[in-house]
Amino acid sequence: MRSGEFAPIAGGTDLVPQMRHSQPRQLMDISRIGIDFINSENDAVEIGAAATHTRLNSDNSIKEFLPLLSRASGLVGSWQIRNRGTVGGNIVNASPCADTVPALLIYDAKVVLVSSKKKRMISLAEFILKPYLTDIKPNELLHSIICRKSDQPAGASYLKLGRRQAVNISRMTLAVSLVKDENDIIKSAQIAVGSVFPVPSRVTELENMLVGQTITSALFNDAANLAADLMIRESGLRWSTSYKKPVLIGLMGRALNEAAGIKGIRQ
Amino acid sequence: MSNSFEMIVPARFRLNGISFEKDIPISWTLLRFLREGLGYTGTKCGCEIGECGVCTILFNGQAVNACLVMAPQIDGANIWTIEGVAPLAANKLHPIQQAFIECDAVHCGFCSPGMVMTTIALFMQNKKPDDEQIKRALAGNLCRCTGYSQIIEAVRLAATLIAEGDLKKFNSNNTAGKS
Repeated sequence: MRSGEFAPIAGGTDLVPQMRHSQPRQLMDISRIGIDFINSENDAVEIGAAATHTRLNSDNSIKEFLPLLSRASGLVGSWQIRNRGTVGGNIVNASPCADTVPALLIYDAKVVLVSSKKKRMISLAEFILKPYLTDIKPNELLHSIICRKSDQPAGASYLKLGRRQAVNISRMTLAVSLVKDENDIIKSAQIAVGSVFPVPSRVTELENMLVGQTITSALFNDAANLAADLMIRESGLRWSTSYKKPVLIGLMGRALNEAAGIKGIRQ
Repeated sequence: MSNSFEMIVPARFRLNGISFEKDIPISWTLLRFLREGLGYTGTKCGCEIGECGVCTILFNGQAVNACLVMAPQIDGANIWTIEGVAPLAANKLHPIQQAFIECDAVHCGFCSPGMVMTTIALFMQNKKPDDEQIKRALAGNLCRCTGYSQIIEAVRLAATLIAEGDLKKFNSNNTAGKS
C-alpha cells in the first residue's frame, strides 16, 4: 500500500489512521470488486484478499481446514475492526504483529498478485520483506491467498499475548500445529511466531528438532528454550529481551502442550 | 484535511431508511460526512483511529467505525445511525435506548450512541447473549465514565424487552441505488 499512483483501500482500518500522518493519497476502493471469496478446493483453500476477518472467523471451511486462521481472525482488534478489516490488508500492511500472518504461515500460504500485465504467485514468507514492507510492486494488487489445508488430524494452538484481553495489539503471537502418532511420536510440526523476529516467520529449526521425537516435557522444555535462543540470535539483545525471553519460553511450552493435547500444565 | 479545491464524487445510499443522492468530498471519512455534510451529529467523534467506538454505525447491517470508512465508500450501502434507532413518529424510544435509561447506563452520554448501535448489531446476530458475549461484542466501545456494569446490565435488560419487529428495519442486505 506504500507505492504506486493509487493506494488500494478495502476496510481502511490500518490505512485511514496512517493517512492522518501522511500526505493525502489517491485511493482505489477494492472492497467490492469480487475478491472477498473463500473457495475450498481439493487440498487448498483460496481466500480473496478483501475477505473480512469477521467473514473468515465465521466461515465453516476456514474453521475446518485452517483452524488457526479461524482463531486468529477472531482475535483481531474489535468487532467493528473485524467487520471492516481484511486479511489482504493485514498482510500488505506487514506489521510485525499482524494477527493473521503467523496462522497463514502455518498453512504454507502463497499470495497471488495481479497487475494489468501478469499474475504471479509467491510464498507469504518471501513476500513480507521487513517490518511494514512487502515485495508488492506499484502496479500490483494482492488478489488472493492460497493455503494448504491443515494436516488431519492435527492439534493446534494459537496464543496471542496482549496488554489487555480485548482490542489489543499483539505483543507476541505463537501458532503451533502438531501431528502425533499413537506412540506420541511427532509426525509433523509447523510453528510460526509474530513479534519475535523482525517479521512473522516459521521457526523451521524448531520444527526440525521436534519431528520424529517422542513427546515428553523435557522435549518441550528444550524446544521452548531453543525458541528463545533463536529469538536472541536473530533479533539481538534488546531492551525488551529480559521480559520477552522468559515469556517466549513460557508461551512456547504452553502452545506445544496445547497442540499436543496435554492438559493441565500451567506454566 | 480538505481544501477549497476538494474533489467530490456523487454517491447514492440509504441512511436510516431514507434514500440519498449526495456529492461527497473524496477526502472525508464517513464520520465527517455524517456530522459536517449531513448534520447528523448523533454519531460522536472520539479517537478517529478506530479504537474508541463512539462513532459506531451500521454499515449494511454490521457495526463499523465510521471514522475508518472513507465517505465515498458508502455508495450503494445501507447505513443506520443513532438518529434512526427510535421508531419514527411514535414519540417513543427504542427498547435498547429505554433499557439504557432504566439501568442508568448513560453517564456523560458520549459513548451511548455507539454502545446502542453495537448492541443492535449484537441482537441482530444473537437475541439472548450471555455476559461473555455481551462483553466481547462491546469490547470496541470505550466508556470513559467507566459505567460498564450498568451498560452490560442494560444490554441484558434490553434482551428481555426486544421483539422481532424492533430489529427488522436494520436488517437490510438490499442496498440502495447502484451497487
